[in-house]
Amino acid sequence: MSKKTIDRRTTLGLIGAGLVAAPFIRPSFGQAAWPEQTTVPDALKGSGEVRIATFGGLMQEVQQKAYFEPFEKITGIKVRAFPGSDATKIKAMVDTGNVEWDMAQLSRGSIMNLQKRGDYFEKIDYDLVDAGVEKQYRFEYGLEMLVWAQVLAYRTDAFKGAVPSGWADFWDTKKFPGDRAMFGTNSGGWPEMEFALMAAGVPADKLYPIDIDKALASYSKIKTDVFKWWDTGAVPIQLLTDREVTMTTVWNGRMAALQAAGVPAAVSWNQGLLKRDAWGIPKGAKNKINAMKFAAYSTMAIPQARVCLGIPYGSVNAKSNEYIPAERLAVLPSAPDIKKQLVNYNYDWWIENREAAIPKFNKWLLS
Amino acid sequence: MSEVVQPASLALAVSRPKTAPFDWRRAVPLLLAAPLLIYMLVFYALPVVAMLLRSVNDPTWTLANYATLFDDVVFQKTFWITLNTSVIVTLGCLILGYPVAMGLVRSKTMAPFILVIILLPFWTSVLVRSYAWMVLLGRHGLVNEALMALGMIDRPIRILNTTLATQIAMIHILLPYMILPIANALRQIDPSLIRAASGLGSTPFMTFRQVILPLSMSGVAAGTLLTFVLALGFYITPAMVGGPRDITLSMLIAQQVDQLNWAYAATLSAILLATALAILAVARKLPGVGNAFRTSMR
Repeated sequence: MSKKTIDRRTTLGLIGAGLVAAPFIRPSFGQAAWPEQTTVPDALKGSGEVRIATFGGLMQEVQQKAYFEPFEKITGIKVRAFPGSDATKIKAMVDTGNVEWDMAQLSRGSIMNLQKRGDYFEKIDYDLVDAGVEKQYRFEYGLEMLVWAQVLAYRTDAFKGAVPSGWADFWDTKKFPGDRAMFGTNSGGWPEMEFALMAAGVPADKLYPIDIDKALASYSKIKTDVFKWWDTGAVPIQLLTDREVTMTTVWNGRMAALQAAGVPAAVSWNQGLLKRDAWGIPKGAKNKINAMKFAAYSTMAIPQARVCLGIPYGSVNAKSNEYIPAERLAVLPSAPDIKKQLVNYNYDWWIENREAAIPKFNKWLLS
Repeated sequence: MSEVVQPASLALAVSRPKTAPFDWRRAVPLLLAAPLLIYMLVFYALPVVAMLLRSVNDPTWTLANYATLFDDVVFQKTFWITLNTSVIVTLGCLILGYPVAMGLVRSKTMAPFILVIILLPFWTSVLVRSYAWMVLLGRHGLVNEALMALGMIDRPIRILNTTLATQIAMIHILLPYMILPIANALRQIDPSLIRAASGLGSTPFMTFRQVILPLSMSGVAAGTLLTFVLALGFYITPAMVGGPRDITLSMLIAQQVDQLNWAYAATLSAILLATALAILAVARKLPGVGNAFRTSMR
């Protein structure tokens, strides 16, 4: 009986956490161990302020300590952070000429999708950006600043010790019984067609261009087992905690809080998707020069490493790993052993094909 | 010529009703309402019109967005799901709500208690109430555990994230909108009519059928309309507790806004608004319902 009580309390805690988007447990390393960025190029110094939109929650708290506060101290530019970054708001701001953010945390996909519809973002000034930022993370209208993974997560108490690995196992409801949850198309989401293809045996390097019909045919095999198409990161975590599902897809950073809360759940990195967040500077932003400076500062090796220590996401700067202890590096999606199991998400394909893929997915879902 | 010699005051007095630019007494109600009217115009009507215009002029003037709806399977299914859910929820509210309204009006001692029970959840946010249903209906939630303890099921059944869960939660959220207008109508029934009916030998059931029910129809109509129109626009609850295919029109609109298809989202919004207005317009023409509007306004 007492076990049940604890379960319900944990459940309520998680639901509450989801509600206010403020995780209740901080799976971060002690701040004493964080490296300090003691010098910056003069080109990054300045005055005034920069208004930055983030995704809020624990992420913003980590960003505050990892690079907002140090940036203020070392450059003299004040940072004002706002939760609730959203490409639709940027469209409205730029359309009405009332741009309230100088920079926003988005993804290459959402930045380029909006840019396709008009001139909504400033070009990045790459003269300022640190040489350690790998080429694959740079694009014309944004700078990628956070590496994360969308992966398979499961309850370790559900399969009598069997360990699922990869999407064929996710699709195999005989060997791994129980309900599933997957990322859906609400809240601007893009369905996980890559997972459906890998479940159908398509090798990771042959995913793109995605064969939409083949992906939907594969989805059909587990359609009745997927009873929730989630739209925000808190949902799969709550479903795992409440034992509503035995397996789901998740954003890897959310799992740390779940495991720290003692829920018997684990991640299987194999065949996960490696995704990135990016800074975008809305067209006409008042402090766009300061925003460029901040984008450059935040992607330097040490500020990036500080984020990795605060929340289990990876760095875009090749030199960051020098500042991260080995045992921490081992749980980050950018760790070499993990990264090689993941598949690079192809934003370009999705930017080109989203408008064809999503109506097809919706139609399939309702049929 | 004679007009010229007329006293000026008389000319004024005679022509006053015609030429006076403004009868201040008649303008008072309008002036009193002006702040709200201007507020609604600027912050509600104009944005709604601007939003609806998007459905026909984004990027150029066209009706193409509406034309495509005819072969848009996703829209048609979603629209059907929305109407279907609204009908079931409205019927559920009526069946559950009418007896409660009776209790509220009939029982002098229990009335304040019943009213508090109805109103407390009414003042709680829809989000919180939907979360509460998640806790109750979950696979290891209270309902499943109670059913298991009673031996009615051997393992947890799926209630959360089904169409049934959407209906249960929506009925709970919308019940006050059904109960309060019905109770209002019941309260206005002259008690002497009921006494007269029983004095003339009517059984309680016959009194209900032939006196109370017909006289309360105005409240039933008002409650049904209110519940139905509100149910049409539900978004949070089906998204949170509904099944994988419970996509309502509002959810599709939100999805399309996020996917940056604003013209399509505006088109869907126009359809939703038109549906609600059409239902109200048709309902007003039905015998007895027009009265209901006036009664419920009192």
